[in-house]
Amino acid sequence: MPANASETGSRLITLLASLMLVLQLLVVVQRMLITNIRLFALQSLLLASIATVVAFAYGAWHVLVIAVLTLIGKVLFLPWLLERLVRRIKIEQELRPFVNMPASMLICGALTVLSYVVARPFTALERLGSNTLGVAITLLLTGFFLMINRRKALTQVLALLTTENGVILAAIALTTYGIPLIVELAIFFDVVVAVMVLGILVFRIRESFDSMDVSKLNELKW
Amino acid sequence: MLLTSILCVPLIVGLLCLFARPHVLMEALNIAGFATVLVLGVKLFQAVLAKNGGAVTEWSEFLRADALSAWMVLLISVVSLATSLYAVRYFRRDLAEGVLTARRAREFYVLTPTFATGMLLVVLANNLGVMWAAVEVMALSSVFLVALYNRRTSLEAAWKYVMLGSLGLVLALFGTIFAYASAIRPAGGETMPSFNWSSLLALAPKLNPQLITLAFIFALVGYGTKAGLAPMHTWLPDAHSEAPSPTSAMLSGVSLKIAVYALLRFHILTTACLGTGFSGRLILGFGLFSMLLAGPFILTQKNLKRMLAYSSLEHVGLICVAVGLNSPLTVFGALLHMGYHALTKPVLFFAAGNIHQHHHTLDFRRLGGGLGRTMPATALVLGVAAVAVSGLPPFGLFVSELTIVAGGVTTQRAWVSAVILATLIVVFCGVLIKLAGLILGKARADQPREQLPASHVAAMCLPLAALLVFSLWLPPSLRQLLELAANIIRGMP
Repeated sequence: MPANASETGSRLITLLASLMLVLQLLVVVQRMLITNIRLFALQSLLLASIATVVAFAYGAWHVLVIAVLTLIGKVLFLPWLLERLVRRIKIEQELRPFVNMPASMLICGALTVLSYVVARPFTALERLGSNTLGVAITLLLTGFFLMINRRKALTQVLALLTTENGVILAAIALTTYGIPLIVELAIFFDVVVAVMVLGILVFRIRESFDSMDVSKLNELKW
Repeated sequence: MLLTSILCVPLIVGLLCLFARPHVLMEALNIAGFATVLVLGVKLFQAVLAKNGGAVTEWSEFLRADALSAWMVLLISVVSLATSLYAVRYFRRDLAEGVLTARRAREFYVLTPTFATGMLLVVLANNLGVMWAAVEVMALSSVFLVALYNRRTSLEAAWKYVMLGSLGLVLALFGTIFAYASAIRPAGGETMPSFNWSSLLALAPKLNPQLITLAFIFALVGYGTKAGLAPMHTWLPDAHSEAPSPTSAMLSGVSLKIAVYALLRFHILTTACLGTGFSGRLILGFGLFSMLLAGPFILTQKNLKRMLAYSSLEHVGLICVAVGLNSPLTVFGALLHMGYHALTKPVLFFAAGNIHQHHHTLDFRRLGGGLGRTMPATALVLGVAAVAVSGLPPFGLFVSELTIVAGGVTTQRAWVSAVILATLIVVFCGVLIKLAGLILGKARADQPREQLPASHVAAMCLPLAALLVFSLWLPPSLRQLLELAANIIRGMP
């Protein structure tokens, strides 16, 4: 393995990972559902490219499987499914979130700093890129924030999916060779099935509540 | 092929129920399937004992069952069988009253075996990643069971259940990956280390301690959410109260304990790597918080099934506290408690299901009292099960709770035993006051008398009878299995 290729690979990975972070912040400030879905697809595409870079630069062909699965599942299939759902239930825009946009931005900035602090002791363990783990934890935390902050059921599903992207990023960053194939396949199918289940549930909620505003789901207390 | 067949039987039953035409056939398939699983479970139990602490493995260690897994398989099969027996009349009545469409009833008979398959795979998978995926299968297959009635409230409960569950599982996946990453260096070189729990445990002293710490914290919060540990428990009362009673019985009777099992696997790994203090203390803390939180909610609860859900929260808390205390007696008591609780809680939910079908409400005030007169059979079963669940002799929960409290006194943290006792007394008073009012109080005049076929009462009483038998007489072989399992949890094979 030429040292040069792996160094270039490492830089590319850092670049792509930071682009993933930028896309995440765009999702935080974006209110159109379709745009959010496309931003998510783009973020997944970046994840797939990171996996591809790892596969080529380090000769870890195994990781190509992650790349292909991400491409099929998260870049093509799930966004298509979610967009169809948005058209069918005819709700295209998010309501006013609980925290307004500038404040959300500030909170997400704080979360990013926090993630980098948390990931600091582990940077030495990262085998690829630098601070990729920090990005992964940021995706997790901002995903959680998105889930709390948004009212539409579909946005919450998207937020969940971005946290999932964070997990896969952490897996690539920490292990280089990815995780065993059977586990990759299991995670992939679980995510796809989970989104389908959530989609059906969103549809049913929309039918009985005439809305997919989750803040209306408030009858059960204590 | 024992482990493989344990997994395949419920899966095949689920698939067959997709196509089975008459309703009776689906019922029969479910009952037959779960009875087969129980028989296979007993066989597995004997096979594990024959190996004396060793593990039964299949598919080059892909499936692995030690004493702990064998015990969980028994719990899953017993609760599923009891549930499928009870479900027969429950759904026939719902169908007759038009509360449920035939399609939804089919959903129940298809998804319940799938749910059980997921749980069985959790306890039989050796690979931590596959275990995670199986927990997700279990979570996803139960979502539509919770939403079966398609009421606004049940959709709300299902939404909270699936969202909080998925969030927890993302965290658990992080934990799982950290655990895997911690093995990469000690395994050395360019080869991929095995993701199997057994080989990670063999490597444990050499694992990266920082990553294992992080892995355990993520797994604790993640699987703790599925186990309903406070403060991640908020989905639990909603899902348990809105699901149809057979599903509530499964959720409360076993699925919470399966999540605890997943957490225990991480606990064992962490203990082997970092020593006893760290993970035990965290589990103890979350367990105590859950117990303390459950008490007041039970005392002020207005809905029968929600009260039962909070009682499950308290029992899961107690199990975690007992594991966290980490003395031979408490861990043994925790395992015993899992078993007795799995036999008791479903019966309470069965009785609650009858009450709901008869009175169409579960609100204590709207129910009034005097169920002893209007629904004598159900009230009797409810009363006996309530006595059992509050830990009164002669029922087993008394023995297991006493074991835990006595074990706790001998450890360094004797104060924990005092806290356990105090919360147990609060819960005891809460449950008995509420249910005494319900069963004994004055009946409302306009209430019709319920007619239950004898077979249905028998199906409800079956777990109670088993509880009584095993309370008075714990077979020596079962005792040996529990001791082996307790040793595994305490990291002394």
